Amino acid sequence: MEDSARQEILDRLRQAPTQAVPERLDLPPLSERSQDREALIETFSRKLAAQTGVCHRVPDTASALEMLARVLEEEGVRQAMAATDEYLASLNLPDWGREHGFDIGTPRDYPDRAAYKTAVFDRVQAGITGADFIVAESGTLALIHDRDQARLISLAPIVHVVLAPVDRVVPAYEDVMESAFGHGRRPSHISLITGPSMTADIQATPFKGMHGPRRLIVILVERGQAVAPAKGGPPQQ
Amino acid sequence: MKDVSLFIPCLVDLFLPEIGEATFRVLRRLGLNPVYHREQTCCGMPAYHAGHLEEAGRLARHFISIFEKDEAVVCPSGSCVLMVRRRYPVLLEAHPAWRRRADALAGRVHELSEYIVDVLGRDDVGASFAGKAAYHESCQLSRGLGVIEQPKRLIRASAGTELTPLNAADECCGFGGDFSMKYPEISEAMVKDKADNFIAGGADVLVMSEPGCLLNVRGYLERHHPGRKAVHIACFLAGNEEAP
Amino acid sequence: MKIKTDQYAETARRELGNPNSRVFLNLLPAFLSVMRQAAMQSFPDPAAAHAMGGVIRAEALDRLPELLEQFERNATAAGTKVFWAWDGHAANGYILDLALKHGIGYVTKGKSMITEEIGLNDLLEENGIEVWETDLGEFIAQLLGRPPFHIVGPAVNVPVEEIRDLFMDRIGLEKPTTDPVELGLAARNFLRDKFHHMEMGITGVNMAVAETGTIINVENEGNIRFNKSSPRIQVSVMSLEKVVPTMMEAMHLLRLLCRNCTGQELGAYVSLDTGPKNPDEIDGPEELHVIILDNGRTRLYQDPNLREILRCMRCGGCLNVCPIYRRIGGYPYGWAYSGPMGQILNPLLLGLDRTRDLVQSCTLCHACRDACMTGIDHPGLLLYLRSKAAEGDPDLGASPESWPIAWFFKAFAHAAANPVLWRTTVRLVRSLFNRTAREGRVTKAPGPLAAWLESRDFPAMPEKTFHERWADLERKG
Repeated sequence: MEDSARQEILDRLRQAPTQAVPERLDLPPLSERSQDREALIETFSRKLAAQTGVCHRVPDTASALEMLARVLEEEGVRQAMAATDEYLASLNLPDWGREHGFDIGTPRDYPDRAAYKTAVFDRVQAGITGADFIVAESGTLALIHDRDQARLISLAPIVHVVLAPVDRVVPAYEDVMESAFGHGRRPSHISLITGPSMTADIQATPFKGMHGPRRLIVILVERGQAVAPAKGGPPQQ
Repeated sequence: MKDVSLFIPCLVDLFLPEIGEATFRVLRRLGLNPVYHREQTCCGMPAYHAGHLEEAGRLARHFISIFEKDEAVVCPSGSCVLMVRRRYPVLLEAHPAWRRRADALAGRVHELSEYIVDVLGRDDVGASFAGKAAYHESCQLSRGLGVIEQPKRLIRASAGTELTPLNAADECCGFGGDFSMKYPEISEAMVKDKADNFIAGGADVLVMSEPGCLLNVRGYLERHHPGRKAVHIACFLAGNEEAP
Repeated sequence: MKIKTDQYAETARRELGNPNSRVFLNLLPAFLSVMRQAAMQSFPDPAAAHAMGGVIRAEALDRLPELLEQFERNATAAGTKVFWAWDGHAANGYILDLALKHGIGYVTKGKSMITEEIGLNDLLEENGIEVWETDLGEFIAQLLGRPPFHIVGPAVNVPVEEIRDLFMDRIGLEKPTTDPVELGLAARNFLRDKFHHMEMGITGVNMAVAETGTIINVENEGNIRFNKSSPRIQVSVMSLEKVVPTMMEAMHLLRLLCRNCTGQELGAYVSLDTGPKNPDEIDGPEELHVIILDNGRTRLYQDPNLREILRCMRCGGCLNVCPIYRRIGGYPYGWAYSGPMGQILNPLLLGLDRTRDLVQSCTLCHACRDACMTGIDHPGLLLYLRSKAAEGDPDLGASPESWPIAWFFKAFAHAAANPVLWRTTVRLVRSLFNRTAREGRVTKAPGPLAAWLESRDFPAMPEKTFHERWADLERKG
């Protein structure tokens, strides 16, 4: 029954008359393509701020963690869920949290999906993730989800904090996709995040934090200590 | 003196003949000899817009056979020119010989301001109007034919005239042919906004390029704001902006 | 979704007099349009970037069968279950079977016009499965039982008092408030519970990338991401024309889509799915079903004159610039799609006879065509549909034009093709018409002008037509 629908649809499409298509002309490259790293970071920060996101730039891991402590205090966060992507894993946030008065867990702490979901929906006030790419053109973070980059961490809690090495900045979305889908890779899920969740559906009055986070804070860390590269390189076997 | 053939829209012929007369006078003033083919009637747009292609095609052939020997055909209406230039070739697709004749004629049919500015290369046509003029950007002329700046240049070049901005100048006035008769409340809401924007802008006169738009806006102004004037650009340029 | 396309005229009249609707129609579309212009300036060559949208979509339609197969192959290789549905019945049946098989008590939905088109919600509810719209505007519209008012703000015209009462009645809002933010928070809390415990989420698809087998969704609220992250089963429904060849081209369309839709450079969240979750992921769907829906589109595809409408990306750009939409809002269009694209798609999917007004009510102002991110010539398509409505076309559900009107145009053409007859007719009409005139104008008269004359004057026919003045003009002028 279904196969016949498939066949019917394809047959009918194939037998239809052809039609000329308009000529394809070249597009000039986006201005971000000619910007150096500093300019890209500036563009990213400015565009993130326009969405009420906040961008902090710090020189090294130690100051990144200081900034994290400050951010969590300011946002009234006591419990948080952290992803386990390579950069965050290198920071060992659960231990750091214990030393600084924050209860930071990871999905691995939970025996199953249901328990994890309850934590991320009901228990924590913040989700902490890395970012695989920092896209200058619109102040966008690209998260390539996998076992170490769970989806709900950057979605369910009211605050989302991102810690990422600054050299992950790229000009445009194409850079993200070329890498994410390169070498035959097929990531199950990618999120492009531009500012907090928002709506203006009631009387065109805008506000943040409709279903997702109300606050998005990004901490960009300069190289200094060994930092993990973005997801790239040959596929894992 | 060079001949130029007058294409007089049916609305002008029947209801606004002074626009045709003004067109004649402006072209004469520019040193041309306007000729008028008396067999012309209607370009067929009403039939086409109503979906009656056979009837529209018949009128297209009538039009082409009348005008195709002319070097230049000038019309005080963008929508009629759009019909001839853009729609005739499509309408006559199934008749290759007529299609070729339609294609050949298309480039020689011009809206009035387009003809004066682009073909004759003139801005100043000896017009004068002491006061502020606003300009409504009729849809078929502006978005259809891409003629936007030419009428404004002519208005600016008119002695003593200040071309003032018009809010939402490029928004449709709500005429749309029989749209205004079939959906009168929606049409009224649109023409009301056009009139309100004109009045709020403080201009002394609203200059319009389309006879249909003019009937619509003027009709509304006469009913609700008597004394507020809308005028066709041909009349504005010819100098009889106090049209009856 | 109830079909009310035949109530266009009366609904339009009602909406013209509705102050709540007018407030938002005066503000929102113009605002979005201005934002769009500004956002387009981020391209070094905005006109070229705009034109490229049309090229990509035209090319995609040209290669549609090949691209659909490529998408299916790549999506399936990634673990997606691809289901081809001939019509809404098949698609709804598939989703219902899936829900029943898994003992689903309720589903949540991201905004999806295609599911409105096929009436999915009704079928699920009839079978005891609760359906919760989760886009705030759609949620409110659903609770009120109303169609969407605007593609971006489905309930933006609803007064806060009404929302307050609704929420107190239906979602347990305790403190009476008319603050939009507090009301939004109440909706957030209510729907959060649904997101947490849901087992099946349903979304639409903004774009399907053939090259990688990926589906892409854009949003601002986060509800679509929840539908893709929380439940074990995700169903995404796409109409078959949504396929795009490559990821690079999808990125370009993404930019145009967001600018045209909300004037943003990018929506707050863009989510891309290539298959269900990996076995070692803790969240995300274990099953991803993508339904490729026809529902009349291959039929449209057969006519090269109509195919262009399939380029539509549902950005809403045409609504925002349409002078008619700006005055009447979404309700009069009476079905899933509104504005200029709705005036073409609703008739093509429902038949021309029941959608007469949608085809006729347009001034052909071309604002829509100029705003369209894929270069669709809406006026040209409407004129084509009018010709089908006039001559009759069973395939399009069009009976021929009534004989008085057909006869009128035949007579008109006959007269206009015969100058002498034309002149005679004009003289006759003039003498009749001018009987209704006073002081050079007509203010009241029966017949086709009657409605016009309610709000506007019309000139009497001058004593002499231009034709009759020519001899004098040539001589004296």
